[in-house]
Amino acid sequence: MKRHHWVVRVTHWVNVVALAIMVGSGLRIFNAYPAFARRGDTFCCYPFAHKAIPAWLTFGGWLAGARNWHFAAMWVLVVNGLVYLGFIYLHGEWRDLAPRRGDIRDAWEMFKFYAFARPDHPRQGKHNALQRATYFALPIVGAASVITGLAIWKPVQLGLLTDLLGGYVWARYWHFLAMLLLVALAFVHIFMIFAVDPYSLPSMITGNYDERLSPEERNARPFWHLLPPRRTADAKASGETQP
Amino acid sequence: MRRRRFIEVSALSFASALLLACDSEGPKRARPALLAAERWNEKVERALFRHRSMDYGTAVLAGAAYPKYFVSDRVPIWDEAKRGPWSLEVTGLVDQPLRLSLAELQALPSVTQRVNHYCVEGWTAVVEYTGVRVSELAHRVGIKPQVQYVDFASFDSDYHESWDLASALHPQTLVAYGLDGHFLGPGHGAPARLHSPIKLGYKCTKYLTRVEFMAERNGGYWSDRGYEWYAGT
Repeated sequence: MKRHHWVVRVTHWVNVVALAIMVGSGLRIFNAYPAFARRGDTFCCYPFAHKAIPAWLTFGGWLAGARNWHFAAMWVLVVNGLVYLGFIYLHGEWRDLAPRRGDIRDAWEMFKFYAFARPDHPRQGKHNALQRATYFALPIVGAASVITGLAIWKPVQLGLLTDLLGGYVWARYWHFLAMLLLVALAFVHIFMIFAVDPYSLPSMITGNYDERLSPEERNARPFWHLLPPRRTADAKASGETQP
Repeated sequence: MRRRRFIEVSALSFASALLLACDSEGPKRARPALLAAERWNEKVERALFRHRSMDYGTAVLAGAAYPKYFVSDRVPIWDEAKRGPWSLEVTGLVDQPLRLSLAELQALPSVTQRVNHYCVEGWTAVVEYTGVRVSELAHRVGIKPQVQYVDFASFDSDYHESWDLASALHPQTLVAYGLDGHFLGPGHGAPARLHSPIKLGYKCTKYLTRVEFMAERNGGYWSDRGYEWYAGT
């Protein structure tokens, strides 16, 4: 039994590339006017106005180059996202990600475990409650970035949408915040992959996952117990073998 | 530990690929795909286009904070001593070409509209332009059925931008001679410029001298330099 269906694996990596292009080119576009205020007006809520994003974080080389990448990769992002969502809806994987009762309690248990306030890794299935919250939030934030993006791409022809978001200036701000949130979630995700469950990286490529190397089996906290458990000795010593 | 090695190698190669890509225009081989995406986007933008979609400027006028752009080394100013009085040529595939003096242009039915100026850089400015609708000019010269595009040329070096006919005939697309209740200043394209909230700023030719109705598009100053040709808002 594969841990990840090939459709999920392919859409995951296409999404990585598309998102990287979107964020990099978006930051290059932002650098053409790194502020939010209308000309001759002020804007309340961005303390770093007129400070450019470091060039090494950007992609596209210049404004037109970045725009061409942005307006091409947006289709890859949207189509890929729809394929992914359509697939997990039809194939049932959405059940692994949808919020369920007890999620808050389960998330608290995970926090306790990571804070060394609980000795054993909670057993919460394929994904723990913190992961489920992240993987459930990502498509929502992604959709928000697409909708706010449409509003600033076509502020006149889709003027109704732009108005709903508070006008062009605010829509552009929401678009920026949605990007920040996506990047933050992605960084937490990448950090946890390497710090807690590095064995899940190959599983997103090949689909295979050795359950004996799962964080539950290794009792892995960030940077703790990264190596495979010495089976017999560990299991006896901790006495926490579970059905 | 082959698994560990695999993880390290894949992480390193991914990170280095990202770093190499940074601040670059990306691989040259992607160009055909990007151009195809632009053609596809133009189709989408044309499909979204509605003559009745109107823009309106809220909040304060940008006034002096409205940036002044031109491509020449110095502010382009029409030199009457050298070139004679300024006039606007309305020509191309039309029944009756026109050559309008500034007084004749100002005598035509005009509109004043408070709208946004959408710059490609991401800023907007609320502006109040006064001028003659391009559709009014088109009506007066009588455009031929094969007209699909309109070119707007200037005396600011070789600056020009061509438009699709539908966008040019949008009611908010003006040949403007007034800004915020005054005549256009030299920094904003005097004596007359094209302005519309339905296209990005660089499509709105300043220092206008010629409106030409055409069967084929002929690009434009920035659209020939890599910026999107359609550039609708």
